[in-house]
Amino acid sequence: LVLDNIAAAFHELFVLKTVLLMVVGVVAGLIAGGVPGFTIAMAVVLTLPFTFGMDAVQGLAVMMGVFVGGLSGGLMSGILTGIPGTPSSVATTFDGFPMARAGRPGFALGLGVWSSFFGGIISAVLLVTLAPQLARIGLEFQQWDYFSLVVFALTITASLAGENLVKGLIAGALGLLVATVGEDEINGVARFDFGNEAIKQGFGFLPVLIGLFAFSQLLSDLEDRVKARKSLAEGGGVAVRIEHRKAAMTVLRHWTNLVRSSLIGVFTGILPAAGSSISNILAYDQAKKASREPEKFGTGCEDGIIAPESANNATAGGALITMMALGIPGDIVTAVMLGALLIHDVIPSPTFITESPVLAYSLFLAFFLANFMMLALQSYTLRLFVLITRVKMYILASIILAYCAIGVFALSNIAFDIWTLFWFGVLGYLMRIFGFPLAPMILGVVLGGIAERWLSRALARSDDLSYFVTSPWSLFFLILAAFSVFFPKYQADRGKKTWTLVYPAVFLFTLSVPAFMMGGPVRIGLGILLLAMGIRSLIKHHRNGWKVDPAASLAPTLREG
Amino acid sequence: LSRINRDVYIAVFLLLLCGVFIGATYDIREIDYGILTPAAWPRIVLVALTVLSLIYLFQSLRRGAPAAGGEAFSVKKLLERYRNPLWCYGLFLLFLLTLDYLGMLIGGVLFVFCLLTAIGGAGKRDLLRHALIAIVMIGAMWALFTYALGVIFPQGEIVSIL
Repeated sequence: LVLDNIAAAFHELFVLKTVLLMVVGVVAGLIAGGVPGFTIAMAVVLTLPFTFGMDAVQGLAVMMGVFVGGLSGGLMSGILTGIPGTPSSVATTFDGFPMARAGRPGFALGLGVWSSFFGGIISAVLLVTLAPQLARIGLEFQQWDYFSLVVFALTITASLAGENLVKGLIAGALGLLVATVGEDEINGVARFDFGNEAIKQGFGFLPVLIGLFAFSQLLSDLEDRVKARKSLAEGGGVAVRIEHRKAAMTVLRHWTNLVRSSLIGVFTGILPAAGSSISNILAYDQAKKASREPEKFGTGCEDGIIAPESANNATAGGALITMMALGIPGDIVTAVMLGALLIHDVIPSPTFITESPVLAYSLFLAFFLANFMMLALQSYTLRLFVLITRVKMYILASIILAYCAIGVFALSNIAFDIWTLFWFGVLGYLMRIFGFPLAPMILGVVLGGIAERWLSRALARSDDLSYFVTSPWSLFFLILAAFSVFFPKYQADRGKKTWTLVYPAVFLFTLSVPAFMMGGPVRIGLGILLLAMGIRSLIKHHRNGWKVDPAASLAPTLREG
Repeated sequence: LSRINRDVYIAVFLLLLCGVFIGATYDIREIDYGILTPAAWPRIVLVALTVLSLIYLFQSLRRGAPAAGGEAFSVKKLLERYRNPLWCYGLFLLFLLTLDYLGMLIGGVLFVFCLLTAIGGAGKRDLLRHALIAIVMIGAMWALFTYALGVIFPQGEIVSIL
């Protein structure tokens, strides 16, 4: 059956038009990823209007191309100019830029490109093998479980909130509120239209997204009057030839670092909210700790490029596992992809892979293909990148602003969508100025309708609210939700305050309850394992005398990517 | 008053917004079927938002006013600092208001040209370069969407008159 699905997906995907569109997507992603100030999420968001007229496979394949291209594009500016194109390539600059300055830019780029490729392929293999297994578990879910799963996804906002938890949660709630405006999907009743006919239809998902994210980002880029008139090339961009053969051999020789970093990337991607902006730093840190020559890191070390670049591309596969198997976004880019699925009338949920196998396997194949395309196109895109770096920032931003308006209008041919873009652009910019993170709001907009739908279905089946805690999976997700809200606080205080020593044990104990409720030898065994791990953690701290170090250093904090 | 800072104003604004929206939930038509009424979910969201806004308000009040010695508030400085974004918003608003008259192509070209000139300068060479960029880029995008993707953009009354 799997082979049949792959064959059908192959047939769908390997059409000349789709492949050519993917090539365009990968090139656009590479360029957008390469230009500092333009994020991957922004590139994917701006691609959406183009994909609207395409069928679901074509549209999502193009977006996959932009996603993979964007993850790899950041290394070009990171290595050549020392300015990371995206937060995913921050750690690449630590060794990539010194290596380039030492006269080996072609080799540094080669290492980055081949590490990205291998990282992407490793995560693609894991995506194809893990996602269907995880989705099989998802088939056990009842209505209450689905709702609690969405609640858990919404609490991701806490992790995305960064420094201010309350501001992040407010942004998430505002997103949920925006999703309620207009005609109610379940009963068709108008809400919050305030007598305006246009608002009765509700805000289009894309104009809101483009306004909040792309429009406000462009204005932030233009804020500094001096920088707005500068081009990236003034930072020192130069055209070079990528040393493919030598770099590929070097990456393969450092296979332990490659595999470890890719696994870190995949795992970070699976965790909701922890995207490639954190995985590249984690992988770099681990590579340095595992190295026999840690002092060489930061001076142009090969491992220092391999680790972040393989990790950031592998994160994409991890995030896609969560999105395709459970229907919840792993990071902001997959939140946009989730919205794109909705636009193409595909409701993301654990049944997605079984109900739309051809589309699901087409996405798997598109992810593989995009990685090969990225490898083939990077050398050519590099020349294009060098040309674009000569363009002044205000010119790029002005053209993209106009494109936002044209693209948004093209979605439904109504001018109200451009007004939506404008107002949400203003809102997004004000939120940035006042320190409200935008990612939680976008998650709220994406997940609001889904949450309401599942709550309605759950209550239609039974108005007994106790099902939310007596259903094991629902309880499991509610526990995860409760602990994820406090996770940023735990992360900030870890090792500094006594309560953080008990937090993991309490988490494990609580999590074992639904495992026991589920029954069956494997899950009961898992419950016992969770209990044992919790007890072990408590014994360890007890033996250490519950010591804390108020000056303990912090782990890398989660940032919006 | 000594405890008031920017966040307090934002929190109060959010609470007012919640009040307006909670009031508006009573205008939502009630239905006789189903358990989750159309107003129920928005009310759940608004209760959560109100509680969070209250927490935000108390947090902000507890933090107190910003330390003295910072730059005094001045509209001129504010306009100076946000000059470029204000140009963007102003011109975009103008583009939207004139869309029915100028249409997407002419309006888009004018918007890009004016924005480029406002931010990049209005020297003779600049004007020429900006005009060229605006015509080529917007023209190409307009043509791509119109002829390749079949999108029908607002033509604008001015074109009909001409």
